[in-house]
Amino acid sequence: MIAIVAIFILLFASAARASDIAVALTDDVIEVDAGFFGAHFVLFGAVTGTDDPEGHDIVAVVRGPPTTFRIRPMVRERAIWRAGPAIDIEGEPGLLLALATRPLADVAPAATLRDLGAAADPERIAASLAPRSDAAARHLESGGAQIVGAAFINDGLRTGRVRETSGAVRFRKGGLFSIDVALPPRTPVGAYSVETFLLRDGAVVARDNAALAVDKVGVERRIFELAHRRPFAYGLACVSIALAAGWLAAAAFRK
Amino acid sequence: MQVYLPIAEMPVDPFIIILMGAGVGFLSGMFGVGGGFLMTPLLIFHGIPAAVAVGTEAAHIVASSVSGVTAHLRRKTVDMQMGAFLVAGGAAGGAVGVFLFRYLRSLGQIETFVSLSYVIFLGLIGSLMLAESLRAIVREPKKGAPRRRRRRTAWMAALPFAMRFRRSQLFISPIPPAALGFVVGVLSAIMGVGGGFILVPAMIYILQMPTAVVVGTSLFQVTFVTAVVTVLQAAANKTVDIFLALLLLAGGVVGAQLGARAAVFLKAEHLRALLALIVLAICIRLIFGLVLPPDQSYVVEAL
Repeated sequence: MIAIVAIFILLFASAARASDIAVALTDDVIEVDAGFFGAHFVLFGAVTGTDDPEGHDIVAVVRGPPTTFRIRPMVRERAIWRAGPAIDIEGEPGLLLALATRPLADVAPAATLRDLGAAADPERIAASLAPRSDAAARHLESGGAQIVGAAFINDGLRTGRVRETSGAVRFRKGGLFSIDVALPPRTPVGAYSVETFLLRDGAVVARDNAALAVDKVGVERRIFELAHRRPFAYGLACVSIALAAGWLAAAAFRK
Repeated sequence: MQVYLPIAEMPVDPFIIILMGAGVGFLSGMFGVGGGFLMTPLLIFHGIPAAVAVGTEAAHIVASSVSGVTAHLRRKTVDMQMGAFLVAGGAAGGAVGVFLFRYLRSLGQIETFVSLSYVIFLGLIGSLMLAESLRAIVREPKKGAPRRRRRRTAWMAALPFAMRFRRSQLFISPIPPAALGFVVGVLSAIMGVGGGFILVPAMIYILQMPTAVVVGTSLFQVTFVTAVVTVLQAAANKTVDIFLALLLLAGGVVGAQLGARAAVFLKAEHLRALLALIVLAICIRLIFGLVLPPDQSYVVEAL
């Protein structure tokens, strides 16, 4: 499999003259079962048109399906902390992984990284926050959209929804490289894009795209599907299972 | 080892969940209580979203009470007639509770609401139970004939539709049991409890039912109402994690057996004092969660 991919990439890439990059994925569809710790896929690629592939930087950006997030500030009311008014942000990637040869900050200036979508853009995020109520609008005005946006970015980093990995690129012979992409447990399902950039001295010299779909399989996924598509039937099933399991468990102990 | 909970959408260590089930099962076997009011906060402390903890507990209670109710049915210690009114009220209360739950969830307030309800109920019940058991421990037990209970049920007989409850030897209106069932149903839906801790004393002291049928009838109500609440929670809120419920049950059945055996080594009033202390400890932990500044100044959820 790896050899076929490599040959394919070399054949394809040999036509190019200037420094170029070409990538392929081991799979188009990643099926993750729910207990899938360590689910991953491999991105194969080749850097061509240069004698010094390792003198370049490679950044792969994996973006999950666009998702709407709801952000609420914690507010204190009569000594009790509770969630405050809702602020929505639409179209943010459900997962954003940046995998690079070196720490992103060393690869390129922050503005370049933002343009590539490899790093969150605080200004764009702050500008696209949509308050859901007057109270939320007041919060945005008084507290500043920048703070809410920063909180959203920090939440992504904290929960692993946004992650940067350096030293992720393994160079092989003749400009071939591979990147092992590990998926976190809460990987959302849907269409993913994988954009790979070849950079030199902080500037992009070439790029290539690949797409994949993440699909969850396994019994946990089926439970989730049933619970969301046919909630009433799922509820009846839950009660039946609970009754049967409870009765069986007690019967097992009576002996 | 980790397993992924399909509805809670988070990975957990199954052994920790089974141990939690066993721990609460031990306490419920030991004290003869349902344990929902201990399990729900414990699940929340473990990081399960409050909404999922409450919805899942309903299914867990169905599973852990079914064998008890069948045993009582066999022994004919269930007042089916009274049970029917309790269940009818409970189902209505459960429906109201589930929709209240749904509304609060849409406002993002369910975590705070569940914690607050628990603080109030656990605080109240814990302190009453502690005071009562301490009085019993300090005071020497009175030897002598137990005081004959005077039955004051005239006010309930005066309400409309009064009828005879043969098994409970009562002549009362079905409105008080239905109302009691309603309150317990609401609590069941919003707190993830069976409600036995309210139902049993209310049946003894308010409805004045004979103690012989109280436990069986309350189990009957709890099993039916939590079953209704489970279906409604699943349908309206999608918060019933059957995987989690089965893990809890697996630990719970073992724990309950051990707890029941351990209980014989302790005096009843000491048991009650111990349970009261556990209840108050959970209450205090929940109060800390509500009043201490949260770890994160913003909460973010994917829609």
